[in-house]
Formats: sequence, C-alpha cells, structure tokens
Amino acid sequence: MTKEVIIEKCMAFFTEEFEVDGSKISNDANLRETLDLDSLDYVDLVVVIESNFGFKVKGEDFVNIHTFDDFYNYCFTKIQEKAKEVA
Amino acid sequence: MSYALVTGGSRGIGRACCIKLAEMGLNILINYTSNDEEAKKTQEAVKAKGVDAVLMKFDVSNMEAVDKAVGGWIETQKDKPITVLVNNAGINKDNLMVLMNPEDWHRVMDVAVNGFYFVSRLVVKDMVHKRKGRVVNVVSLSGLKGLPGQTNYSASKGAVIAATKALAQEVGKRGITVNAVAPGFIKTDMTAGLPEAQLKAMIPMQRFGEAEEVANVVGFLASDAASYITAEVISVNGGLYS
Repeated sequence: MTKEVIIEKCMAFFTEEFEVDGSKISNDANLRETLDLDSLDYVDLVVVIESNFGFKVKGEDFVNIHTFDDFYNYCFTKIQEKAKEVA
Repeated sequence: MSYALVTGGSRGIGRACCIKLAEMGLNILINYTSNDEEAKKTQEAVKAKGVDAVLMKFDVSNMEAVDKAVGGWIETQKDKPITVLVNNAGINKDNLMVLMNPEDWHRVMDVAVNGFYFVSRLVVKDMVHKRKGRVVNVVSLSGLKGLPGQTNYSASKGAVIAATKALAQEVGKRGITVNAVAPGFIKTDMTAGLPEAQLKAMIPMQRFGEAEEVANVVGFLASDAASYITAEVISVNGGLYS
C-alpha cells in the first residue's frame, strides 16, 4: 500500500468518523487539535486503524505522533512491517 | 443481533445469568474453562429461550486465549456485537493467609483480576467505538467486607470492585455503564462445602440465596432500565452486610 493510498483512506475516516472538514487537514497540522481528540477518541482512532489497515496498535505508539504526517508515516511503517511478517 | 458474553457461564451464578439474559432476548456467548458437560447444559437452557447460544471454551486468565476467542469474535462477527459483558469467572482457594501457598494466591488473582482485564479491554474497546454497552462484574461480599480464610479471594474481588468504579468513570461519557453485583452466600458449587445451617443463622433473611436472585440484578443492570446507574456495587446477600 502506497503512502498516497494510506492518506486517501485516512482522509475518508477522518471526515466520516471524526466529522472534520477535510480542508482543515494538512500534513503539518496537529492531529489531536484538528480532530479535537479526547482520550476516548483515541480508542476510536485505534479501532478504525485496526479495521482499515489490519495491524494492532499499542497506546504508546501515539506518543510520537503529533502531526498528520507523523500519523501517515506511522501507518505506512506498520503496514510495511506487517507485509514483511506475512511474507 | 446483540450478544452478551458471560464468563464462567457454565454453572451456578454464571449459568443463571446466561438464562436471565437470554430471557431478555440477548444471544449468549457462554465462556467456560473445562466442564464441557455443564456448559452444554447451559447452552441447551439458553437455546430453549429461543436465542443463539455459543460455547466459548477458554481460560480468562490466559491473555493469548482471550485474544484469540474474544478478539477473534469481535474481528470476524461484525454484525454480532457484544453489547453486554458479565465478568463472572472466579475461583476460590481458601486457606489462612499465613498457610496459603503462592500458587493459590496467584491463581485466584489471575482468574478474577487478570481475567477481568483481559476480557474487558477487548470488549469495552468495541463498546467505546459503538457508544453502547453494559458491563456487569460479579464480585462478592468477600470483596466488600473481607472474609477470614479468603484473603486471596477478598483481595481479588476488592480489586475488581475498584476497577469497576474506575472503568465506569473512564467510559461513562460514551453511555457505557459499568457496575458490580456482590452476592453473599448463594447456593452454588462454590458454597456447597460450607456449614449452611450455621451460616444462615447470621443472615437476616435466614437462608442462602439462589443463583437466579443474583442473575435478576445482573439482568436489571444490563437492561435499559438501569441506564443511569454506573460505578455502583449492588449487594445481594439477604441483609448480611450493607
């Protein structure tokens, strides 16, 4: 899965699940502030990631995710890791 | 197609909970560890209420087994969400604490406390996302009052009571309720070896309770009628302790 496809999928669930105006989402924007995430919203984020991308998320994974770009890179890396495991 | 998962559902209070929730129209996932024969009896009793009854054989204290069974259900059965979780699995290995071996201490804690955690973390995650759910933890008078000869059991149930209150506060804003039911002396296999005549003299209602009397409260807490009750512990003990 390319990073572009990941971004496309993420945009879909950001706008649908978190009801965020897509125009507010940019690579440098702060993920938590833009999506207005509280602690339980992170649970939602974990569930949509796991169901869309098929890898397991650990709570501590979010420590280093600040911007949307961080988030896309995280998903990309985890998907690559999973693909290697399967292969 | 809503489902209730009842841990330790093959016998006693667990079986009564399965039947009660089935009477309320819920399909039932019956967890048990080893007794196939009793689990099948529960399954038949649930099916007789006209709902689905699925046996789930796994040890709640084994995280990998829980992940496989419960996580697998949540992942693959998207149209059959678990909307009610009854954490009932528990064991007792009584002894004076100074004579208690470490295995008995750990085993009782593992089943009640780790079992609660391993199962709930998966089910509640899904409930949070779906903004719907009821969690009822079957604890004990022993966890409220403390009973001599049961320091391990008292500690394990006390821990689950505290976890009930904490979890209820974590997920309340998503409309999920988390409560506990604390039975006193109930006629089950667990109390079969106790001196009933001597003990019931201490109980204001002068008798042991029936498993169904506990299940009725579990059913209430799992119902819409209890929509504004959370972080609560309801005793079902004939007035023995309040």
